[in-house]
Amino acid sequence: MIIEALKYLAYVLIFPGFLFCFLTGMLLCGIDRKLVARMQKRVGPPILQPFYDFFKLCGKETIIPAAANRTVFLLAPLVGLAALVVLQLFIPVFGFSAFSNVADVIVILYLLLIPALSIMIGGAATGSPYAGVGLSREMVTVLSCELPLVLVLLAVGKKVGAATGSGLCFSLSEIVRYQMLNGSLLGKLSMLPAAAAFLMVIPGETGSHPFDAAEAETEICEGMLAEYSGAPLGVYKLSHAVKLLTMTSLFVMLFLGGIGGAIQNLILGAGLSGGAAGALIILLDVLVLFALCAAITAAAISFVHAVTARLKIEQIFKYYWTVVAALALVSLVLAWYGL
Amino acid sequence: MNMLSLQHFPIYSIMVLFLGAFLIVIFGKSKVFRHAVALLATFASFFFMAMLFKPVMLEGQTIAYWMGNRVPAGGYAIGIALEVDALSLFFGLLVSCVVFIACVYSIQYMSHDDNVPQYYTLFLMLAGGVMGLVLSGDLFNMFIMVEILTFAAVALTAFRNTANGALEAAFKYLVVGCIGSTCILAGTIMLYAQVHTLNLAQMSALIPGNLSTATKVAFALLFIGFCTKAFLVPFHPLAADAHGAAPASISVLISGVLTKSGIYGLIRLSYFLFQSMALGTMQFWLVFLGSVSMFVCVTMALAQHDFKRLLAFHSISQIGYVLASVGLCTAFGISAGLYHAMNHTLFKGLLFLAAGAVLHETGTTDLGKLGGLSRKMPHTTVLFLIGAFSISGIPPFNGFASKWMIYQATYQKAVETGNIGFLLVTICALVTSTLTLASFVKVTQSVFFGQLPKEYENVKEVPFGMRLAMGILAAMCLVTGLLPEAVTRYLTEPAARAVFAVTDYINNMMGAGYAQSAMTAPPAVQSVSFASAGVWSPISWLCLLMIALLAVSIVAIAGKYDRVSVKSPENLGGKYDLFYGGEQTVYSQVGGDDLFWGFKHNWRHYFSFMHELHSGVVNDYSLWAVVALALAIVYALIVL
Repeated sequence: MIIEALKYLAYVLIFPGFLFCFLTGMLLCGIDRKLVARMQKRVGPPILQPFYDFFKLCGKETIIPAAANRTVFLLAPLVGLAALVVLQLFIPVFGFSAFSNVADVIVILYLLLIPALSIMIGGAATGSPYAGVGLSREMVTVLSCELPLVLVLLAVGKKVGAATGSGLCFSLSEIVRYQMLNGSLLGKLSMLPAAAAFLMVIPGETGSHPFDAAEAETEICEGMLAEYSGAPLGVYKLSHAVKLLTMTSLFVMLFLGGIGGAIQNLILGAGLSGGAAGALIILLDVLVLFALCAAITAAAISFVHAVTARLKIEQIFKYYWTVVAALALVSLVLAWYGL
Repeated sequence: MNMLSLQHFPIYSIMVLFLGAFLIVIFGKSKVFRHAVALLATFASFFFMAMLFKPVMLEGQTIAYWMGNRVPAGGYAIGIALEVDALSLFFGLLVSCVVFIACVYSIQYMSHDDNVPQYYTLFLMLAGGVMGLVLSGDLFNMFIMVEILTFAAVALTAFRNTANGALEAAFKYLVVGCIGSTCILAGTIMLYAQVHTLNLAQMSALIPGNLSTATKVAFALLFIGFCTKAFLVPFHPLAADAHGAAPASISVLISGVLTKSGIYGLIRLSYFLFQSMALGTMQFWLVFLGSVSMFVCVTMALAQHDFKRLLAFHSISQIGYVLASVGLCTAFGISAGLYHAMNHTLFKGLLFLAAGAVLHETGTTDLGKLGGLSRKMPHTTVLFLIGAFSISGIPPFNGFASKWMIYQATYQKAVETGNIGFLLVTICALVTSTLTLASFVKVTQSVFFGQLPKEYENVKEVPFGMRLAMGILAAMCLVTGLLPEAVTRYLTEPAARAVFAVTDYINNMMGAGYAQSAMTAPPAVQSVSFASAGVWSPISWLCLLMIALLAVSIVAIAGKYDRVSVKSPENLGGKYDLFYGGEQTVYSQVGGDDLFWGFKHNWRHYFSFMHELHSGVVNDYSLWAVVALALAIVYALIVL
């Protein structure tokens, strides 16, 4: 009983919970910054810069505006971070899933709203007009990404459900297990548009260029973060980093789950078995996952960031509800007719 | 029969409300007396319903009550009957519970109004009307109750008749509401002429086998009649006017209780009286009507600049969810729909009460004039946020649990039937949920956060009684969200089973074997399955979140998270003011109806079209009603 409880506590605090999220998220963030700088022919910050920034912010004074609602102002970042970390627990690492019977992909879709809500409400609680404008844009960005995401998830659910014979499948660990046995969904022609759509959603969900109208430093002074300083600001930066991990690893699990099967075959094929093999598989899984996340970050975020300029909010909305949604819809229709 | 036997409880539950209404008319001058009577009557009504929970929900009994013990003779039901199966009891419990809470809230909310005795009289009449409707076992009494509740609701809409637009709203409601009631009456008469009985159970046995042109037209009439009571599209503009003008405690009843009576009527009509739900097109049109209602009304809500009108449109949007799910004709779908109906009553009640609290303290509900109230009314803010998260389907609150079931149910139906139309419904429901969130973020920012206008510097928190009522509803929102298994097992699944147990419903009333002998083709036994494809266990999620939050908080506090330097005169100079980019500090609230400009700009053609369509002229709305009726008649004649 106690061993069991300790195990779950370790899941939450160490892997795939806090410590893992903190380290990998921040690293992804650092890689992104470095890559963008290199693409723009700058030297760029060291890869570990996000860690330095975080600890620096934690050491700084927190100024709470006199007009702000103090409790909400301080609590919102923490709730957002906690919700994001808990969300990460439901995303399996290939064959390993910490909690497979708590939430399915539809729930994950809605859990993704909580961090966005926390930043909106935290910003709103300050009463700053910059925060007000930022909040308005953030909400529209969330709204923009929602339709393509919904379509992608329904397409994947239908595809896997039809293949396994259950008709419908929304459990993320089921989706991964199916891919480990039958190869990645990215290899299926009908899922290619959905994967492309999901890649396009990643920068929108994480609020990076060119979809960062909600933060727009040069224009509305980081919008909802305008009044934040010190540790609460650090927590928001950390949340942003973790969200990078969440979105990229969600992509890996939805479309590249087959790689987990390859790893398993590799280890078991080498004649290993028992606990050592299990540990080795998990270790390799984590390393491969991180490499894939970094690659997706580079492709979907850094590259796009380096070559585009910020879009206006109504352009963001239009882009997602036409181009990206259409791509996802193609996949859904193909999956619907069993292709 | 013993006076305290269970058989009598349904009639007691209705009677106490009407009795209370009459007592208040006569002796209502005394404040203490009328409060005591209103509270006692509403509580007693709830109590009698709760006493039926065990026999009906758990043991699966159906309680039939013949007034004056006039049981059917010679194969015809002449007497007035009440019949309480799990479906009726589900709605009865919901109605009586919310009526009681609204009554608690009313005591302090209405304390500054004139003519308070009349208010309580009408309030209890309205409550009694809805209770009577959902418990009644005969169609004509359903009509009587519809009349009572419609007129009570019209009068209550205009209760604050000095307020801007109250009389106009009441007039519109009266006109279109009467069209609806007339449809119900006409439909009832036509059915009576055909089958010579008004008893629901007996009609359910006689109608499906002998459909004639007259019964088909009657179906259309009754259908439109109940649609007006539920304010489904195209009757939604009335709801907005009525909710905007009525006192908040009445909006709770109109949105949480009255619309449910419409849904209840539609279920009885299509699943019981005509048993027409086996038809694919019937399912499709109900679901389609629900989807249109949910989408049109959520976009209408996004364009509103009045707190209560916005809530009113959301009411219809949520009713759209309920109808879309109930119309699926699967046990899981009905269970999901009823669950959402219950949740809607709870969170919409909470939201209207919060709007009422804002109105009570500031005197306005205009989103463009309010702002920053969270510092003045912290408790109301928290309670409002719980309601807002619930309606927007944010886990772990109840709105999410039921909407999640609705997504699964519609998608399952789509996969089973291969009909891509149902898939669109799933997408529509998922997107509508986020649009709902958007419009509640708008309210949150415009009313509770942002900057406080000068004239509301002295606003205070609302009295305890009002917060208590909101607190009860908020707690129920959380509990029903965290325990979806318990809710579905003990409340919605028995009700969903009852929907498919038409034969039992008939036999229980008319005597065993009646259904088999009277019906030409007894309904096929539906497979009742509550299986779903997804997984969601809110309790585990909440535990994990609490652990995570605790961990973050400990780290944060250890790291001196909220270390704030002492405000001394030297460092006060502007340090704690808001940042204005170096400009002079001025009052600048970002909020109001145009907050989501980026969204509305892309949809400007749609919104201007909607704006033109909703002219606010009652003639137009009556015309819509007539057109809807004509379409329904054509449909019924062709398809049924």
